[in-house]
Amino acid sequence: MNGVLIRLTARQLLGQKRTVLLLLFALVPVLIAVLYRVAGNDEPQRWAASALNARLIIGTFLPLAALVFGTAALGSEFEDGTAVYILSKPIPRQVIVLSKLLVSWLATAGVVLAATLIATSIALWGEPQDGILAGFALAVVAGALVYCALFMWLSVLTSRALIVGLLYVFIWEGVITRLFAGVRFLSVRQYTLGIADAVVDVPARVFNPRLGEMEAMVLAAVATVVTLYLAVRRLRRWEIGEAS
Amino acid sequence: MPPAEQRTGSIYDLGYRRYDGLRLGRQHAVLSLYFYTLRGAFGIGRRASSKIIPIVITVIAFLPALIQLGVAAIVSDEVDVIRPENYFGFVQVPVALFCAAIAPEITGRDMRQRTLSLYFSRALERRDYALAKLAAFATALMVLTLAPQALLLVGNGLASKDLADYVGDNWKDMPRTIISGVGIAAAMGAVALAIAAQTARRAYATIAVVAWFLVTWPISGILVTEVGGAGRAAALLSPFDFVYGATLWVFDVEPDRDSVQDLAEIPLWAYGAAVAAYAAAGTALVIRRFGRIAA
Repeated sequence: MNGVLIRLTARQLLGQKRTVLLLLFALVPVLIAVLYRVAGNDEPQRWAASALNARLIIGTFLPLAALVFGTAALGSEFEDGTAVYILSKPIPRQVIVLSKLLVSWLATAGVVLAATLIATSIALWGEPQDGILAGFALAVVAGALVYCALFMWLSVLTSRALIVGLLYVFIWEGVITRLFAGVRFLSVRQYTLGIADAVVDVPARVFNPRLGEMEAMVLAAVATVVTLYLAVRRLRRWEIGEAS
Repeated sequence: MPPAEQRTGSIYDLGYRRYDGLRLGRQHAVLSLYFYTLRGAFGIGRRASSKIIPIVITVIAFLPALIQLGVAAIVSDEVDVIRPENYFGFVQVPVALFCAAIAPEITGRDMRQRTLSLYFSRALERRDYALAKLAAFATALMVLTLAPQALLLVGNGLASKDLADYVGDNWKDMPRTIISGVGIAAAMGAVALAIAAQTARRAYATIAVVAWFLVTWPISGILVTEVGGAGRAAALLSPFDFVYGATLWVFDVEPDRDSVQDLAEIPLWAYGAAVAAYAAAGTALVIRRFGRIAA
């Protein structure tokens, strides 16, 4: 880890205008939870787990936030042409990647965790929790790490990491995983949902992920390490003057 | 000082010539911009890496048609044919991805490279520029919405025993298919371009377009299915929902039970009106943006 790099990245990622927009973004699930409570429906547990957290936050908001931060942390340096100033310094590549990852992870997890905590608390106000709040809080923090590592690798691999990441999230995870159950082993969304299941203690009717908690944790760890290694390897082979 | 006549400076005569040839004028400029933008949308004439993404997304839009034709060719001709309105329900996803990926290229490229001043100093007017770009983008989207169904129609026709019979049975769907395909392309394309034109940076433009599609979608879903009442009007908020509603209206099909369009209880023609309104608003915003932008 490198303190200067972390500070610089934090300043890049959390520019004033973008932070305001992201806070508005985090307000959307909260607003939806409020509307849901106002309408007063039955089965708030099931809604909070399967609709609010699994579909809305983990299915849409977490990957989008990770896509914004994960691809910008290192990708914007390549886009602006400033990557060369970092890569030509005697800083080991893994330190660069880990510092950038740390900031983008914290930024993603911060925004999404706030949304999860507030929205779930509102949705389950006066209802039994059964670990839903804690489980999904843990899951989004872990999922943010896996997504950020994946998108960071994409951002050193291609200049269109944002689009490739969108295709991955919405075609691969959104459509293909639903059609071919075997693909669940290659879906960060399923890892995240599986991790939530480790703490969430509700019947399968309420929330039923496709991966067991152990598989999910092992696969998430493997995915993080592999994508990080690939990102570091790509940077080691990077040559000055090469267009990213 | 010598008199001026002695300095009959042939050295200053650089031999500039007037251009006496044909001037192709504004119309030609607009058409050229249209065709070059359309080519650029699919990466034709660009390097290989800018071709990959538009082509992958286009292939995704064609996949159901290809699969259905393949199955029909191998198994039998008794396979259920995909209904046009269901195809439109599917094709919205690749269209949205195409908007997110390509709309920033259509508008942002000239802003980033600072070539707008070159365009505007020619016969082309600002409004022409905006409309040509918009028309080209909408045409590119129509390739995604209409071409797969054209392929399906021709393929199924050839696979059936009697081509003339098949076309005779299915011709009624054709005007409806075309209206739907054009409507989807116009509404989604115009608004996506209006959003993307606000910033020169590709990443921000992509995120903004994606946010329009994906943030409004769950909001509309929850407001319609869970909240009800006045919240049901939110079905007109999310592009996926109002565009699909308009398709149902064009094909005169009842919405599926418990779908957003079913629960919203809005008359289906309202979705058609929404498509027209979004297309008009998007077009107006694109024209306004390029009317004011500093070139």
